[in-house]
Amino acid sequence: MMNSLLTQTVISYLLIFAVPMVLPVVFLKVVGLSGLRTLVTYEARDTPLHKLDPRLKVLYPIGMGILSILFTWKAMLIVFGLTILPWFWLRPSRAKIKVLMVMIIGPAIAGFWGQGLYYLPPPPIHFLFKFPWTMAWLGSPGITSYGMIFGLQQTSRVLVTVSTSMLILVSTDVGEFTWAFERFKAPPHVGFALTAALRFLPEMITRVNLVFRAVELRGYDMSRPRWHQLNRWPEYAKRLSRCVILVTVPLLIGTLRGTTTMAMVADARGFGASKKRGSLRVHKTTAVDIWGYAILAVLVVGALVLNHLGIGARYYG
Amino acid sequence: MSSAAPAGQLRADDVSFAYVGAARAALRHVNLGVAPGEVVLVTGASGCGKSTLALALCGLIPSRVHGELRGRVMFGTTPLSGMKPHEASQLVGMVFQNPNLQLINQTVQSEVAFGPENLALPQPEIAARVDWCLDVTGMAGMRTAAVVTLSGGQKQRTAIAATLAMRPRILVLDEPLSDLDPVGAQEVLATLQRLARDGGTGVIIIEHRVDEVAPWADRVVLMDDGRVVLDQPPRAAWAEPGPWRATGVGIPDVVRLAHAVPGAFGSGLPLSVREAADAVKDTWFEAALAAAAAARGIGPAASAGPEVGPPLLSWDGVSVEFDGKPVVDDVTLAVDEGEWVALIGANGSGKSTLTGLTVGLGKPSAGVVRFRGRPVRPGKVFDHAAQVALLLQAADDMLFETTVRKELEFGFKFRARPKDPVLDVPEAVEFFGFAGREEDSPWELSQGGRQRLALAALLVGAPGVLVLDEPTTGQDANHMRAFLRLLDRVRARTGITIVTVTHDIRGLASRAARVVLLGEGQVRADGPASRVFAMTGDLIRWGVLAPPLARLQSELLGPGVGDVLLEVDDLASAVLTHRHGAPPAASPPAGALRS
Repeated sequence: MMNSLLTQTVISYLLIFAVPMVLPVVFLKVVGLSGLRTLVTYEARDTPLHKLDPRLKVLYPIGMGILSILFTWKAMLIVFGLTILPWFWLRPSRAKIKVLMVMIIGPAIAGFWGQGLYYLPPPPIHFLFKFPWTMAWLGSPGITSYGMIFGLQQTSRVLVTVSTSMLILVSTDVGEFTWAFERFKAPPHVGFALTAALRFLPEMITRVNLVFRAVELRGYDMSRPRWHQLNRWPEYAKRLSRCVILVTVPLLIGTLRGTTTMAMVADARGFGASKKRGSLRVHKTTAVDIWGYAILAVLVVGALVLNHLGIGARYYG
Repeated sequence: MSSAAPAGQLRADDVSFAYVGAARAALRHVNLGVAPGEVVLVTGASGCGKSTLALALCGLIPSRVHGELRGRVMFGTTPLSGMKPHEASQLVGMVFQNPNLQLINQTVQSEVAFGPENLALPQPEIAARVDWCLDVTGMAGMRTAAVVTLSGGQKQRTAIAATLAMRPRILVLDEPLSDLDPVGAQEVLATLQRLARDGGTGVIIIEHRVDEVAPWADRVVLMDDGRVVLDQPPRAAWAEPGPWRATGVGIPDVVRLAHAVPGAFGSGLPLSVREAADAVKDTWFEAALAAAAAARGIGPAASAGPEVGPPLLSWDGVSVEFDGKPVVDDVTLAVDEGEWVALIGANGSGKSTLTGLTVGLGKPSAGVVRFRGRPVRPGKVFDHAAQVALLLQAADDMLFETTVRKELEFGFKFRARPKDPVLDVPEAVEFFGFAGREEDSPWELSQGGRQRLALAALLVGAPGVLVLDEPTTGQDANHMRAFLRLLDRVRARTGITIVTVTHDIRGLASRAARVVLLGEGQVRADGPASRVFAMTGDLIRWGVLAPPLARLQSELLGPGVGDVLLEVDDLASAVLTHRHGAPPAASPPAGALRS
């Protein structure tokens, strides 16, 4: 009995903590800070997607996001599939694909695992594994198949927006975003904030990476214990949190210096000098744009109609 | 106070400025004028007020940089000091030191269009400005390129193009060459001269690298302690070395040579290698130089001799790839105990990647890096940092503590104090000049002081090798000399092996006993500095410009010269020694030098 309880407890703890512990490691190993830099870097190419009307590019994630909310799980899978198709058109670099896969699959696993543990359907509940009392006191009675499926549904809905946003991010120059926002009558500061953020985020990531390396070069021990060296993990966590405090000073000083220069540059280039802005871009509507608008319109309107007719619509209440 | 400046001219009239809370003024009674089409070099020691002057000249003082301003800056009849930045920038444009911080947009053309777009100009006007700016800066072929993919020189030219798009009449550039390799620097300087000569733009270049800017300048302004102490055409400015020595600011090597060998270069001072070579061609100087070279028994450049004993540091067939592209390509290299090796090459040639591998930064796609025969494990930075002390270019990023003493003791929190440190903490305090400042914050030290502190903090361990990544970038001649002296003292005291990555061909690389030239990720030359710098053609091919003296000797003795003298005193002494053995002096060619 005791053996059985002990075994069940060990399995339970492994089940509940494996994913939260493995995912960050996978993220650090496969993506890391330099990978994040790749993720948000614009790739200049000569593809139809790059030439698409920037307004359509802004509307696309919004439209697909709406669809992902309206539809049932099965219909939503079709929507998700549709969001994947343009990636084949774009053909991103291998480095970007690697990072994108981790960024998409990681949250998917986390989502369906988390919901599988904590989402409780109405009885009768089908447990894939029921936790003993030594684990259940943490709030989860076990892993349910229904919960995992529910988690997958929720995650997929989020991933529709993630996939579409990423697609646009890597194929659109920030200047085009700014142009689109201006056409939508958004204040220029919105476009500028987005421009500055997307331009300097990769630089910031590089800098954070550099400063963390500098701490190690100065003799700060950032080496991770092996997974079985349990007694060393608390010390590692302590070192890690202290390191975050240490690197704040050089990061803050460097960032403040940088932003001062950037602000002076923006001033000198006349940002805010006029309420209206001109634009270098002249977008001539192409056949691809018309098709794009038409497909997006058909999808959104079709989804609304189907939803109204109760076909593929989510059940509320 | 003077009246308005002539039309199109920028003028500072008795300008003084003190930053908020500063005890001492950064600018003191500065008078300076710049005419259209003129190229003015402003130089001086670090902290002399050059950058403050730049901010004042382009109207960012006092509108964006606050403090007490006296006097006034005029553009023709228009006072700049009270103008809004975007109005002033259409008269006087400013290009800041770090191009990364002033390129806000993602592509080249978006960046250049940003200013005109903000001015709400009509689209055809914006397009015309963008086309012109990209054309004049040589960036037209890269208009859709992403900014992150550009080289340092291309980024700087993009920043210049973006500033030009505001259509300024005067362009002020604050250390535009500091992050550039010599070839990138020449690209930028050629662009600036084109702007001045063809476009009539007045150009003010604030720079420490006087050797490179001297041939392009119409006037030279020397600053010291917030004042202009000299403002003359280049030949007149360097005719008397006194003020330069007094301020500790570098003089171009060919000028120093002309002073060291009086009369050899005719009546005027040469400002470039070309001018110097033309002046001494077919004269006793050339003959004496050839005689001196023959006396040294120089043959063709030889490769490095066979290695003796196991190397301290080695790269065995090492390759590194980023995004599938080779950055380092099959490099095999060894550094012996006690050597001083300089790695040179154009931006992106793989220098920093190669040195980063010695401490576990990055992972080779092929080959092995070894320290004392043991493989360096990628990612194990903490383990290897005790053996290999790597000083990053941005030394400020290596300071984390609240006092100088704590900074020096930082490493001992995680690692036992070494039994035989290169320097212990009290020694380091004395040796690096921190006595009495142990309890000061590192951020209270000067930039040079912070760099010394970062170096000292690495040496209080027991590293077997010191790896320096661009340690003299952006430093004036005084600081550079001080840093080189410091390295000499460290070596004399400790005998430590030094590997430096550098663009400072004239200073740091020439000081190293051995120079390794990297080009497109491969070793292209390896040998004593005097031999590698004799290969001027190969150096240019791989994006490096040999030191001026080396180029002069190569010009006069032909490309086959196997060895060159790199110090002015050595070269002067060699030609003077062999003067009497040389054929009779011929007159310098008429018009070889403009007075």
